Amino acid sequence: MNSISVLILGAVAIVVGYGLYARYINRNIVQPDASKATPAKMYMDGVDFSPASRNVLFGYQFKSIAALGPITGPIIAVQWGWLPALIWVILGTFFIGWVQDYGAMIMGVRHEGDTMGALSYKLISPRARNILMIFLYFYLLLIMGAFGNAVGKVLMTSPKVPFGMIAVVLMGVLAGQMTYKWKADIILTTVVTVVLTFVGIWVSTLPFISNIFSGLYGLEAAGGSPTWFLGNTQAQVLGTLLVIIFCYLGSVLPIWSFAQPVNYVSFWIVSLGVLGGIVGLLIWRPGMGDFPAFTQFTTASGPLWPMLFITIACGAVSGWHSLVSSSGTARQLEKETDALPVGGGAMFMEMAFAVIAFLTATVAFGGLQGYQDAGGAGAALGVFSKGLANFLGYIGIPNEFGVAYGSVFLTIMALTIMQLVVRFMRVASAELVGNAMPAMKNVHVGTIVALILTLVFVWVIPWLTIWSAFGASNQLMAGLALLLISLWLKEEGKKNSWALIPAAFMIVTTIAALIYLAYTNFGKLAQPGITTQGAIAATLVGTIAVVLILAAALLIFDGIKALLKPREKPAPEAA
Amino acid sequence: MASRRERIHSRLRCAAQAASEFLYGMTTYEWVCDMRRERGEIERLFILVTFGDIVGVPILPPYYTLRLLPYVVPVTNRWKRSLLRERDLTDLVGMLEGVT
Repeated sequence: MNSISVLILGAVAIVVGYGLYARYINRNIVQPDASKATPAKMYMDGVDFSPASRNVLFGYQFKSIAALGPITGPIIAVQWGWLPALIWVILGTFFIGWVQDYGAMIMGVRHEGDTMGALSYKLISPRARNILMIFLYFYLLLIMGAFGNAVGKVLMTSPKVPFGMIAVVLMGVLAGQMTYKWKADIILTTVVTVVLTFVGIWVSTLPFISNIFSGLYGLEAAGGSPTWFLGNTQAQVLGTLLVIIFCYLGSVLPIWSFAQPVNYVSFWIVSLGVLGGIVGLLIWRPGMGDFPAFTQFTTASGPLWPMLFITIACGAVSGWHSLVSSSGTARQLEKETDALPVGGGAMFMEMAFAVIAFLTATVAFGGLQGYQDAGGAGAALGVFSKGLANFLGYIGIPNEFGVAYGSVFLTIMALTIMQLVVRFMRVASAELVGNAMPAMKNVHVGTIVALILTLVFVWVIPWLTIWSAFGASNQLMAGLALLLISLWLKEEGKKNSWALIPAAFMIVTTIAALIYLAYTNFGKLAQPGITTQGAIAATLVGTIAVVLILAAALLIFDGIKALLKPREKPAPEAA
Repeated sequence: MASRRERIHSRLRCAAQAASEFLYGMTTYEWVCDMRRERGEIERLFILVTFGDIVGVPILPPYYTLRLLPYVVPVTNRWKRSLLRERDLTDLVGMLEGVT
């Protein structure tokens, strides 16, 4: 299989999936009405509700849903072979992914811009909202652990990365000052900060800078960086602490001065890298080499079913998208008819992004051995940065700079997410326990508590395990969202099998994955010679899996009850 | 009737407009939303301070409240809904663009 064939297959899936299937569902079943007033228009308050054009919202939605998930998932999943990963990315988006994003958006519009929490309360049961909060809480905690692990323990341990990351942060701060304090033109701000960031990344590859970090990390010692505690090396501990400092600043500083402009500068760094990679790929047009279509049913992450389906979340289907679609974008839609191009279109575009990530793992190294040498599933982000560097080589970018660039752009992508999640966790903990524990209302205390929890997850739980647990919590949210969409369609008297069958598939698959996770992790505790770190990790992940299984069981019970309940609204009369 | 060249120009203009809006959506739209949200929250608080009695907050309407009344009447319904709408943590998702 050639890379161009894969790209053509992706394009065909978009044309057929979006152009035929999604449009058919939209036109004949959901039947949006462009003349109906949307919540954005009815309740415009400048805070939550405000209309925007569909092109603007398409960009906003795509940026909101496409981050590290569609990159990491496919790179880990090719350990089962390239065929299962590619099939799930394409068919998952075709039959489930867009259904969830679009369905959550149009359901939000028809329910006056209600959030998923409020919709769960109304359509399933009062406790369904609390269950959603459990999924959300674990999701955020696990995302911090997963991204913190990938960045702090892998990418940041390279001595050529930290200075580039610091350069992006400093340029982000400069962008904030230029825009808000000096009132500089946005184009000038963008050019200055992006060019200086590239200079910073180049400087980070120079020996006099990388040697400083090599010394700091203890990489010059015989046998590499020494192990400090819980199996973590000096480089991993210091790399993680750099991540934590960044997240702390992102959480406590005003959003305009740090989080927002750093996010903005990193957008350009990431976009230019992806564009360059695509051009390089099109020039190179490599084949799969000896990369097998299928390796084996059970790999380091577990059996293909159900683990593949939670390993690739974003890029096929992700529960997080339903929250963004309902609480975020649905409140900004100008017309009901914009829901398909914005919700469905952005999801199909994310599929294309996932296909590019898939290609960096499968074609960039000439085969399976190259993929494994680059780090394999255990260092997915490292695989992407090296694969991207190989693509960038075809547009004349030296490999050393390409690897540093790829690593910095993935690092900064993860960090911009993590700082926002810490911010969210700080606000959430102040809301939830602030009255019982007033100290949690303090910005610094809330942030430090969130960061300590993150450190426990990062230092203790192995990468593949935490990614699986994260994927499971995410896909449970997808199952819940699809169930809600099915219930809403039933309430409206519309055919709902196109959402109900995917809901059943996601819920069954995710629960199976959670049972597997609980079984394997608690099983590890009985193994002789288990380390302290291994025992803590197994207990943590096993407990999270059990909590999620119980929550999902209650949800299924309530969901089935709601599905069997007679419809309250009368059926629409035939025209 | 528009010539073929004009039609092509018109389509190219539309495509360029869509592309620029898409780029705006991916870049500075988020900044605009944050600023708008901040302004909206300050306005919401200001109306609460001056017209809180509308929603049962016991404040004595001062003289200048009456001067502001004509400007506040058109937005009263939206303000009440915005202030009193039930919220949960999923409302905060707007803080977390680009998470997965």
